Amino acid sequence: MTVIAAEQPEPRRYRSLLLENRKFLTGMIIVLTLIVLSAVGTYWLETGGRTSGSLPARQPPGEGMLLGTDALGRSIASQMSEAMPNSLQIGLIAASLGTLIGALVGFASGYFGKAVDALLRVLIDVFLSVPSLLFLILIASVLRGVGVQTMALIIGLFAWAWPARQVRAQVLSLKERAFVQIARLSGMSGLEIIFRELMPHMLPWLGANFVNAFIAAVLAESGLSILGLGPQQEMTLGMMIYWSLSYGAILQNLWWWWVTPVFTLIALFLALYLIHIGLEEVSNPRLRRQEA
Amino acid sequence: MQYGLELMKAYLKFLGERFAILVATVFISVTVVFFVPRLVPGDPVTAIFMRLVSVGGSRGAPLLVAEYRRIFGLDQSLWDQYVSFLRELLRGNLGYSIASFPSHVTDLLRISLPWTLGLLTVTTIISWVLGSILGAVVGWRGRKSRVLQMLVPVALVVYTIPYYILALILVFLFAFYWRIFPLSGAFSVGVVREFSLSFAMDILRHAALPGLSIVLVSLGWWFLSMRSLITTLKGEDYIQYAEAMGLKERRILWGYAFRNALLPQATGLAISFGHIVSGALVTEVIFAYPGLGWLIFNAIKGLDFPVIQGGILLIIFSVALANFVIDIAYPLIDPRIRYERAGR
Repeated sequence: MTVIAAEQPEPRRYRSLLLENRKFLTGMIIVLTLIVLSAVGTYWLETGGRTSGSLPARQPPGEGMLLGTDALGRSIASQMSEAMPNSLQIGLIAASLGTLIGALVGFASGYFGKAVDALLRVLIDVFLSVPSLLFLILIASVLRGVGVQTMALIIGLFAWAWPARQVRAQVLSLKERAFVQIARLSGMSGLEIIFRELMPHMLPWLGANFVNAFIAAVLAESGLSILGLGPQQEMTLGMMIYWSLSYGAILQNLWWWWVTPVFTLIALFLALYLIHIGLEEVSNPRLRRQEA
Repeated sequence: MQYGLELMKAYLKFLGERFAILVATVFISVTVVFFVPRLVPGDPVTAIFMRLVSVGGSRGAPLLVAEYRRIFGLDQSLWDQYVSFLRELLRGNLGYSIASFPSHVTDLLRISLPWTLGLLTVTTIISWVLGSILGAVVGWRGRKSRVLQMLVPVALVVYTIPYYILALILVFLFAFYWRIFPLSGAFSVGVVREFSLSFAMDILRHAALPGLSIVLVSLGWWFLSMRSLITTLKGEDYIQYAEAMGLKERRILWGYAFRNALLPQATGLAISFGHIVSGALVTEVIFAYPGLGWLIFNAIKGLDFPVIQGGILLIIFSVALANFVIDIAYPLIDPRIRYERAGR
């Protein structure tokens, strides 16, 4: 197993590398802060503030109303405490599904090669070049009134092409390395090699892809919601923007209504992107050297 | 010469592959667009009409249903329907709009397409060219200049913001707060639509904010990617050789490093084009900009499924075609292939 150590860091070393990575840590801290804030919000704020008419409408942030109220008299803060977990849930489900399908397709394509690879490559390229938002619009407008989970599943089903492409490239390069050849010579089966030899080296890569898919999913949710195809009965960051837009929050100068979800989304995207860069630097030693 | 010929062959093979992808993209997406609505139980068209009638819309509904049934053979088997769908598509018939019956979907698309096309082409070219040049400069001499180095974190923050989120902030600042640019639309209400300077200025003023939100964000991306390409290329042997030969720095940067970085940068454009288009569609909604995104947004509100379907197909075709065009353009950028052609 010395062969591996010479070529790439041991899988165990990844963790300490990550903890030394400033970008990764900054991103993690921002994401955790957002999660804690929304959890604290859910615990502290009265859920009554969510139904319309429960508070005076159009109140700016101030006493008693942490982030103000919207045109229907709903508290922005308690909307946020519902929207954050929902948006994160969409990201989590969609990214898991997308990365899982992507990893399977990518492994199959890279490992088996030949006809399987040719077919899967065309499929990957097709789904990479078509803006997946279009398929999502199509499906969401046929289904009408999707919930948070359904939306997450649909987004996940169209989030596999990019991870698949990345994993395929990685497998192609790993497959020729000495330790895989040795494993093959020692009589391991294809699946065994994939899971016991290739997987550990792919984990940070898959992590980076997962975060990437997470970003894409939250992005897709906000895009779909703004187009009017979001979960109408539930609150997400995208739906908050949708409602603020459809009640003309900008023109009526109810800035606190749209500023809250907009800047939360910006912070979330920035944090996830930092995590993504951190994971990529750890999984790709060449990037690490470039930054040093 | 032999080397160049090999490259030409490789390029042709590559072109064939890309053409296959183009055909596959069109075929797969048409198939998806056909089958998805039919996975939902019940006749899709009737279901939509029923809902429409229940909200008190469209007087011509029964007429429309009959017309649809005839053209698209809705009472026949799924396979026959698929065949008629493809046949009508080849004829350029995307059916009728429900919300604005008896308008053809294609007519609505024809009105909207130029706005989206104009906005996207101009903003993509501006941000790609500007971002690449800036990125090259910063990547080349970044470490020497603190000011230039400052651009990197700024680009990083801006690039992570979706166009339409930045658009909201720009609308608030420049249209609502400072009132420099109009809030929405593509031209002023009641303005005479003619070939005149004032109308052109009007259009530009309206396109400024949607354009700016797309340019700023994608500029950040092209900047970052070109910068990292040039940083990597700086260590290459041929660059150091050119330096050792005493070539002017400007010549090495633009003639050697930049030229070689353009190819991956163009590939990047092809890969992210779909992403750019998705973002631009939603951005149109923020500005009520009358392109395809705004058309689809209104079709969603008005339960106008044929328009949604037609808009989606048109955008997929355009994106696939644009990607293919970028692929064809490779030899124009790749000096190895270009020089060979010039030499013959």
